[in-house]
Amino acid sequence: MNAGLSEYLVLSGLLFALGFFGVLLRKNTLVIYMCLELMLVASTLALVAFSRFNGALDGHVFVFFILTVAAAEVAVGLAIIVALFRKRQTVMVDELNHLKN
Amino acid sequence: MNIDYSLFFRAMQPESLLIEAALAIIILDLTVMRRKDLSARLNVASLVGALAVALAAVLALRNGAMGEILNGVLNLDTLAVATRVGVLGLTLLVLGIGTGGARIRNPAEYVVIVLCAAVGFMLMASAQQLLLVFLALELASLSLYVLAGFDKSRPESAEAGLKYFLFGGMAAAFLLFGFSLLYGLTGTLDLPGMSVVMAATGFHPMLAVAMVMILVGFGYKAAAAPFHLWAPDAYQGAPAPAAAFIASASKLAGFVLFTRLLWGSASQGQMLGATPGWVPVVWLLAGASMLVGNLAALAQSNVRRLLAYSAIAHAGALLLGVIASGRSGPGPLFFYLTTYGIATAGAFGVFHVLENQGGAQKLKDLAGLHRRSPLLAGCLMVFILSLAGVPPLSGFFGKFAVFAAALSPAGLGSPTGWLAVFAIAMSAVGLYYYLLILKEALVRPAAAGATAVKVPAAAALTLVAAAGLTLIFGMFPSLLLRWF
Repeated sequence: MNAGLSEYLVLSGLLFALGFFGVLLRKNTLVIYMCLELMLVASTLALVAFSRFNGALDGHVFVFFILTVAAAEVAVGLAIIVALFRKRQTVMVDELNHLKN
Repeated sequence: MNIDYSLFFRAMQPESLLIEAALAIIILDLTVMRRKDLSARLNVASLVGALAVALAAVLALRNGAMGEILNGVLNLDTLAVATRVGVLGLTLLVLGIGTGGARIRNPAEYVVIVLCAAVGFMLMASAQQLLLVFLALELASLSLYVLAGFDKSRPESAEAGLKYFLFGGMAAAFLLFGFSLLYGLTGTLDLPGMSVVMAATGFHPMLAVAMVMILVGFGYKAAAAPFHLWAPDAYQGAPAPAAAFIASASKLAGFVLFTRLLWGSASQGQMLGATPGWVPVVWLLAGASMLVGNLAALAQSNVRRLLAYSAIAHAGALLLGVIASGRSGPGPLFFYLTTYGIATAGAFGVFHVLENQGGAQKLKDLAGLHRRSPLLAGCLMVFILSLAGVPPLSGFFGKFAVFAAALSPAGLGSPTGWLAVFAIAMSAVGLYYYLLILKEALVRPAAAGATAVKVPAAAALTLVAAAGLTLIFGMFPSLLLRWF
């Protein structure tokens, strides 16, 4: 059986929703961060599928750039998480409540 | 296809100059300045950075509106040139208020990241292709996340950085998913080509999904209610110059980009703005932001959080400007963005000087400022009154221009007109909490034992210049508006 465009889009939508609910519901910053990456991957899957079925290359090129940006985002994100852990000894979002009125 | 690279290099002169200056600053810091103390390193790095930014602004002005570059990947129209210069001016302001504080442990890296963010903002102003839009946005956002968490000596800074990063990352994912759907629908990444295809094919349900995704993404980035939750924490915890940058230049570039996505530029047809249904959504976001921002600001006792909620309220008014700019052009919106950016960055500059002298962020720490430093008190008064929209300061004219643009097509016959009336009513609420700040700074006597505040020379110069600009743009708004 050959997967068509709609199958890819459904999969990408599911991945995106999975990532989104993970961001909303999980409490561990690292897991939240993984879910963010899942949302990005969902978009790249949609881009590749569109590019394949449109018969154009620009979607593929876009994905290369997204992967590079995601790598830079990992560097920044993990650096911030490490900096926070050094000060607070925790990565749980519930305990990050020192900023308030 | 033929690409004119000499044209491209000339158009990119300001951006390249900033990147070269960033490299030069790093090299300088690692060689000549290596053994100097922190404040000397910060001053030298800021000076080199400021010179490069000023030169880049001159180059951007000299090149002027060059039109389409690289087969329309970039479009340097008047709005792009104005935004570039505006971003550079605000960067100069942020660099100026950042000097004199010795709390930053890596001063050269700090200036370099500010310059990188400025490059991102400038590209956002002229990008006409989704790939470039995404890259420019991420360059700017990643730099801002780093800046928000830059002060490693304070746990609040890291917390602010993390919250800003998580919400910003989610916004980026939403935007990207919306972009990929747009690409799938139209088969092209170029905004002008996209608007042609969209005009030909008409409405498609997937377009509505893409639309919602993009609006959610921009809602987060612009801190519009109900996506505003990160803003108070980020504004409170980030180092003051970083918060000033997030509140001013990033707003300017972000809203210009959003307007372009919705309305296209003057030469091309409408973009997403032609899609039915987006105006009510933006309308709701604007109304909710003004309501939530202004009411929540009333309850704040921390000046930075207060400014954050006022920023949410201003985001609502700016969204109203986005709706209005479809008919009246981007002039009023640009004026509002620039003057708001100057005033809010200036206010953060005043707080930065105070915090460096051992003050905290509470409203009552401002008490007696008129005695402790008449200069700071005077500048703060100009900035806060401009934010409140009191004539003859530029904040008043910005509000006036945006509300007039919203009311002029149909008066009260359209929902946009009613939203403008709501915005005017909400400005009156805003006046109350802005005056609370001024009451502390100008009326309340100083606490016992409070000493005079020493203002570093560069920061003083920057603040006076910003206050002067706020006055001048208020009295002669045509200085900015004649560009459009």
